Amino acid sequence: MKRKNRIGSRLFIGLTFLFLYLPIFLLIIFSFNAGESSAVWQGFSLDWYVSLFQNRLIMESLYTTLLVSLLATAISTVAGTFAAIGLYSLGKRKRDALLVVNDIPMMNADIVTGVSLCLFFVAFFQGWGSFARWFNGVQSAIELPERLVLGFGTMLLAHIAFNIPYVILNVAPKLRQMDKNLVDAAQDLGCTWMQAFWKVILPEIKPGIVSGALIAFTMSIDDFVISYFTAGSSTSTLAMRIYSMTKKRITPEVNAVSTLLFLSVLVLLVANNVREVRQERRAASQEIREPSFFEKLSMRFSQPSFNWVRRGLTGAMACAFIVVVVLLTGATASQPVVNVCSWGEYIDESLITQFEDMTGIRVNYQTAESNEALYSLLKSGGADYDVIVPSDYMISQLIEEGMLEELDYSQIPNFELIDQRFRNLPYDQSNKYTVPYAWGTLGLIYNAAMVDGELDSWGALYDEEYAGQVLLINNSRDALGAALIHLGYSVNTTDEAEIRAAFDLIADASRRGVFQGKVMDQVFQKMEGGNAAVASYYAGDYLSMLENQADGVDLRYVIPKEGANWFVDAMCVLKDAPHYDDAMKWINFMASTDANLANMDYIGYASPNTQALEAYPAYYEELYGEELDPELYEIMAAPSHVLERCEMYTVLPAATRKLYNDLWIELGA
Amino acid sequence: MSKELIRLRDCVMSYGDEVVLDHINLYINDKEFLTLLGPSGCGKTTTLRIIGGFLSPTAGDVLFDGVRINDVPPHLRTVNTVFQRYALFPHLNVFENVAFGLRIPKADGSGRKVKLPEREIHERVMEMLEVVNLKGFEKRPVSALSGGQQQRVAIARALVNRPRVLLLDEPLGALDMRLRKDMQNELKRIQQEMEITFIYVTHDQEEALAMSDTVVVMDGGRIQQIGAPEDIYNEPKNAFVADFIGESNIIDGIMRADGVVEIFNRKFQCLDKGFAKDEPVDVVIRPEDVDIVDEAAGQLRGTVTSVTFKGVHYDTIVDFYGFKWLIQTTDYCPVDSRIGIKIDPDGIHVMKKSQYSGMFGDYSSYSEEYEELDVPEPEDGEERDSQEGGYED
Repeated sequence: MKRKNRIGSRLFIGLTFLFLYLPIFLLIIFSFNAGESSAVWQGFSLDWYVSLFQNRLIMESLYTTLLVSLLATAISTVAGTFAAIGLYSLGKRKRDALLVVNDIPMMNADIVTGVSLCLFFVAFFQGWGSFARWFNGVQSAIELPERLVLGFGTMLLAHIAFNIPYVILNVAPKLRQMDKNLVDAAQDLGCTWMQAFWKVILPEIKPGIVSGALIAFTMSIDDFVISYFTAGSSTSTLAMRIYSMTKKRITPEVNAVSTLLFLSVLVLLVANNVREVRQERRAASQEIREPSFFEKLSMRFSQPSFNWVRRGLTGAMACAFIVVVVLLTGATASQPVVNVCSWGEYIDESLITQFEDMTGIRVNYQTAESNEALYSLLKSGGADYDVIVPSDYMISQLIEEGMLEELDYSQIPNFELIDQRFRNLPYDQSNKYTVPYAWGTLGLIYNAAMVDGELDSWGALYDEEYAGQVLLINNSRDALGAALIHLGYSVNTTDEAEIRAAFDLIADASRRGVFQGKVMDQVFQKMEGGNAAVASYYAGDYLSMLENQADGVDLRYVIPKEGANWFVDAMCVLKDAPHYDDAMKWINFMASTDANLANMDYIGYASPNTQALEAYPAYYEELYGEELDPELYEIMAAPSHVLERCEMYTVLPAATRKLYNDLWIELGA
Repeated sequence: MSKELIRLRDCVMSYGDEVVLDHINLYINDKEFLTLLGPSGCGKTTTLRIIGGFLSPTAGDVLFDGVRINDVPPHLRTVNTVFQRYALFPHLNVFENVAFGLRIPKADGSGRKVKLPEREIHERVMEMLEVVNLKGFEKRPVSALSGGQQQRVAIARALVNRPRVLLLDEPLGALDMRLRKDMQNELKRIQQEMEITFIYVTHDQEEALAMSDTVVVMDGGRIQQIGAPEDIYNEPKNAFVADFIGESNIIDGIMRADGVVEIFNRKFQCLDKGFAKDEPVDVVIRPEDVDIVDEAAGQLRGTVTSVTFKGVHYDTIVDFYGFKWLIQTTDYCPVDSRIGIKIDPDGIHVMKKSQYSGMFGDYSSYSEEYEELDVPEPEDGEERDSQEGGYED
């Protein structure tokens, strides 16, 4: 009986740990996958690690992460240590109360901390703006910057703020254990308070300071939510970069970088624990023993005759730290810069390097998750982008709200290369604000191995025949759009009855259990792995799915007979962009035929450049040594007769947007 | 004795409404062994900390060699302290603990900070370790030492700086009885060898009497009596001192004339003079000054209520008219026997009435009180309120 119990409990423990570690284990395994899929094992390879270290966006954000973590750790360790010492010179009651107050930020939800810090900074910037305007108005000797934005500085402050409690939490117990008379004793023996701090307090509380610093560093590296709200538009930490990369699909690169992140945090934690255990053991065994080699070394080293060596080393390390920080911050500050915000996986990154080499202008390339996220970021005033690449309907909204600057087409000769079909589109009828970047269609993707015959109607999305096999796109506009098209209505209708009819179609199918779920990014894995039969998604992404489809899966893409939605993403410049001329250079560069060819090949979306569209099959053949399947090319860059059947989204009036929203929430419930 | 070294003039220490020291006036001579004696919370440690420079009095002056030093920080005073529970630096070994003070650069005559040469530090530390009998221990971590050894390190660490005054804050409190006796002798020897002033804080009256040149008895933030140990014992100023120092029977009496005091309506001869006629007084009679005689021959007659064998003598509790006396005698008197007592005039000490009158001196609850005296003082400092505010002991 007893024995049985033991087996049971062991099994339970085993399962618990399996549950805890299996996902991480899988992530690590798939970071070594030769293929691009995260569902199918295609052999061992280190390619993703190689490409990770060649990925400049990741490396840049890694560097930002390390810089902010190191700085925040250093500053918060010093501040937290002194704060803890200060707490201990207060009365017990006050101290205990303050320690509880200290705990609250740690228990507080990150999102609350992040949002509140963001609010605080934005409010401060506004106050600062009015002050600076007034100050610059009354005198001209000192020019204060009037516009401050969220960025590295604010993120650093936020990291320092959330790290300090951890340092205090670790230092406080060491202070409590310390004999209070030690400081008196040191002063009694001739130390000033500061000397007593260095000679007595510091050695006594050092273990607490070190573990506080390690935890602060780990917290800083790990943090996503608070950074997300305080980093502004032009700074990304590694975690933020990974998050933006997962928006489209979890590439094995993300697996690789996550593996490295996991391992480095693991190493830090293990190091901290080993240190603590060792200290405890040393404290427990107080008998005299032969000092270890390192202890002998450090004892030898702490002899006064080595004073100058120690001082020199400490000084050198401090100098090195300062030099590194100055270099890291300085290197980014002096160069001309253009701030670009686009979507994840939406550029061939070699183009950025090419542009930088050619012009000497540094490109600060950031990504947003969606048009809506970009919009709210712009509205919050926290962004200082020059160039953004929103989609059609969002562009018209931005123009309407006066948030875009007209372009100087004399600086963009390559605009001439943009195909007539993509000029003067409804969102920018006289084409004063935009240069198209890429375009595509949103069609029906299905696994031919799982359905009978060929599909050619949106009706498949609501067909009970595929119950449990249909993926509904998790985006109200796209989901309702497909239903509207299926019912023969315009995707831009504002007629409530029509919208409700489309909604009922979806809701009814949902009741009948047609949908497997609402998905965005998971569509890749589900379709590639043959776990779903039908979905609606973008043509460019279909091509990527096709490359990664598992054995026995036969993915097809079709523009249904009822028609479909098509979209254009175009480059625009924000009002008051700080680097207008450099932004023009970037836009002109990205509109060039070479850039469009490279980009088209990398992102899988069609280019608006006439020459690039014509030259792509030849480019492909030269690059890969095989002919480009003309059918696939037609999917990627829909020919005019197909495009004519498609309709572009326009911005909906507020009442309709609200209706969409309400209906969507109703469906979710 | 020799010349005056330290003087506290009207020192007051208060935290808000709480007065910890109430107008302390005290001088300490050079090379004197002075003990501040009193129960917990009497202000003795506060006084010590004021001399050490860790506290500044709320009012009054601290003079050192005639110079006011109220605002001189501890590290600039030629005073060193041996702390309660030693306060050794755990991260340093014995040698480095002792050398700690010597390694701090000191200002020389011209105000320049100078460091002692390493050889001199070594010599002085080794010399001091020899004084405290710790030669051969210099490489040990302090955590590997016994309580007595740690105590010696603390003393050596303070003395190596050659202070004019050594402050000792209950230094033997954490040691067991035997070790405490040894260390008492040791401390006295060191004080005489080094020829410096010791200011010693304790709540143990035996320790105070055994070691000191001068004892300062404190209670409630006030000095109750200052004097040589013999004077304090034989001529306590009030009931508190009489009770705190040794065993005493303290009885209400009335001074009928010079040399005549009335107790329990009987007149006794005494040596005290200078009281008003018929002034109510406290009368102290030490237990060893009472002779037991036959009931008929006694000046007072009472019943034995308890007898405890103490080795040299018996502690005998005798009930006189409802008031219980402690009598220490070599004669055994069984419980419930009737006895008489005789007291010589020099066995009677008359004191003025004070705020302490009536609080002490009755042995009705003898056993409990006896136990109380043996209970070691609770160690404070475990959760001390704060670095600044909480040192009232």
